[in-house]
Amino acid sequence: MHGRVKIKSTAQQEEEKRKEKEKKLKAFVSARDAVLKKRSAGEHDEEALQLTRQLLSSNPDFATLWNYRREVLLHLETLREKDEVQKLYESELHFIEACLKVNPKSYGCWHHRTWVNTRLPQPDWTRELGLCDRCLSLDERNFHCWDYRRVVVKASGVSVEQELQFTDRLIGSNFSNYSSWHYRSTLLPQLHPQPAPDSAPNTSPSPTTSPQFHSHRVCEEQLLKEYELSHNAFFTDPNDQSAWFYYRWLLGRAEREEMISCVYVSREGERVSVAFSKPVHAQSEGLMLVLDGQPQQVEWRSTHPRLRHSPVWLCDLPPGSISDMSNEHNLTIHWTEKHTHRDCALYTGCAESWCRDSATNLELFRSELSVEKSSVLQAELQSCNQLLELEPQNKWCLLTIILLMRALDPLGHEKETLAHFQTLKEVDPMRSTYYSDLCSKFLIENTILKMEYAEVRVFSLSNKNLTTLCHLDQLLFVTHINLSSNQLLRLPPHFAMLQCLEVLEADDNAIENLEGLYHLPKLEEVSLRNNQICKLSDLESLASCTKLTRLDLRGNPVHRTAHIESELSQLLPRVTALSL
Amino acid sequence: MTATLFSPNTLLLDKHADYIAAYGSKKDDYEYTLSEYLRMSGIYWGLTVMDLMGQLSRMNREEIIEFIKSCQHDCGGISASTGHDPHLLYTLRLAILYTELIILCGTFLPVLYISIQVDPFHTLFGVAGLSLLGDEQIKPVNPVFCMPEDVLQRIGLQPDLLN
Repeated sequence: MHGRVKIKSTAQQEEEKRKEKEKKLKAFVSARDAVLKKRSAGEHDEEALQLTRQLLSSNPDFATLWNYRREVLLHLETLREKDEVQKLYESELHFIEACLKVNPKSYGCWHHRTWVNTRLPQPDWTRELGLCDRCLSLDERNFHCWDYRRVVVKASGVSVEQELQFTDRLIGSNFSNYSSWHYRSTLLPQLHPQPAPDSAPNTSPSPTTSPQFHSHRVCEEQLLKEYELSHNAFFTDPNDQSAWFYYRWLLGRAEREEMISCVYVSREGERVSVAFSKPVHAQSEGLMLVLDGQPQQVEWRSTHPRLRHSPVWLCDLPPGSISDMSNEHNLTIHWTEKHTHRDCALYTGCAESWCRDSATNLELFRSELSVEKSSVLQAELQSCNQLLELEPQNKWCLLTIILLMRALDPLGHEKETLAHFQTLKEVDPMRSTYYSDLCSKFLIENTILKMEYAEVRVFSLSNKNLTTLCHLDQLLFVTHINLSSNQLLRLPPHFAMLQCLEVLEADDNAIENLEGLYHLPKLEEVSLRNNQICKLSDLESLASCTKLTRLDLRGNPVHRTAHIESELSQLLPRVTALSL
Repeated sequence: MTATLFSPNTLLLDKHADYIAAYGSKKDDYEYTLSEYLRMSGIYWGLTVMDLMGQLSRMNREEIIEFIKSCQHDCGGISASTGHDPHLLYTLRLAILYTELIILCGTFLPVLYISIQVDPFHTLFGVAGLSLLGDEQIKPVNPVFCMPEDVLQRIGLQPDLLN
């Protein structure tokens, strides 16, 4: 067994133990064989209950026996009166409790107890709640018990307010109670919800259906109280993670409203690209495309075959419908499932058009702060900085400072944020990849914001230790992207969402996978010097980028492949400027 | 567990391999019999570790295959042991073994049996199982670590053969 020191015993003690075990084993095996035999014979009697009880009492994880027991009980139900059934299942609950004492974390026991309560003519939810209290007092983090408690609360109609008070008690007696904080995060949005936002732009008001939008966020008044509660907790014990994690959740953003974030139209490609606020499966969303007042029959396709659920979808318009530059067109995409739509106008003389909300307006990366909330967070930032002086190695404090800075002013605090991430990686090296990825994400967010403020379509993030790519659905309209001198390993399928991309620079990375360079209709120039492209097959997807003419692959292992130049000219006949 | 003067600081690979190779033969062992309800997991653990140590050939292939076949149910689920009920957990174990180690004779039903347990633990196993059985919508999963391949690639973690 784990964690037990091996105690040497005398030869006699060993022999006695051996005989004892042999006896037990014999009893177990004969009972087990008898049970399995009875079950194959389809016997559902008292003896079956007796045998399974005997076995489960010492071995409550023998799941098959609980299954059999349920079969027997269901059969006996048909033979008994209601009050006898009540007694039958009440005695079952006693039995389960005894088994739980043997193993309080037995999946079989808890599952069986849940089932018994569905069969009991009169369940006693007070008793069940009491059982949960007792189990949690023995082990505050027994997740089986927490899950069971949630079942009981739901079935018995215990109020959210009462449950919130329950967490108050638990947290009040012991701040280090991750499960209680977590439970609290599920209760608060129900009791003190953030009021629903004003009608989203382009939402057609519908009198018959009201979009049930639940942001899972908490109203500001309560939020400020929660900030204080967690502040007290993590300043009492700065090394306990529970309250820091809870605080992180408090700082988090609301769930995004479901909407169409961007519509892009290209005359030359006669193609429409649509970006949604979350990954969808276009064929199931009731999408309707209306061109100049006429609904169009179109087929929606994802940007990459691996992305069956994607935030970006494409469709082709009937040939000739928008190709004439002298015509103006009005396009509307209706997302009927969510009762929302977006318009896009394609003007005379314009080869392309798009319509989107900015990341700032959408509160994509951070929420708008009220004056009160802002000053509270500002004060918290100060406190955490003071704590950091006392405990410079405290990773929770460092991470929270970063999150506070992002909530208050992501661009203004960029330099400090990078410095703190560096410290974090030194202080917590086992999670350095996680921090690198998180830092990459924040840098990408900042670059998107800067790009919007500058109103350009160039995304440049070179020499920033990027280890991963994200928010690629926000880069639908980008024409130039520079990711050189980073630590990227691949251009994943999601990269195919960059439908407007013309030039890609990604030199000096460690890229070996180019899956995402797939059917990018405008891609003309690719530079991938000093990467890890090893085989011809790594470059296959480029063949689908029909406008690609310039390709720089210098400094990649692939140049050692036999006949690589002729192979490449066969694979990519349209590439006229190839550098190896 | 605290290390003491007498704790080894290297892996005693030969002894570990001996223990595992002999483990299955202890049919009259009390703990062995009582742990029957998770035998399929035990086989998965034993085989995976023996493979990592390069000692897979010491395991009794025929006996194990016969045992696994006896645990297949018509619904596509796999049970922990002969005569036990199928369960998601053991079905995943088998999916992992199938991919990595054993070529089964006879038919293998690549159907994911759905269990009634709704929690993150079992959800992970369900999704990992689907990935190993080739579901295209799900990322490739490494059977040794039960983690997505791209995550392992990024952190530079590959299972090493111990010798």
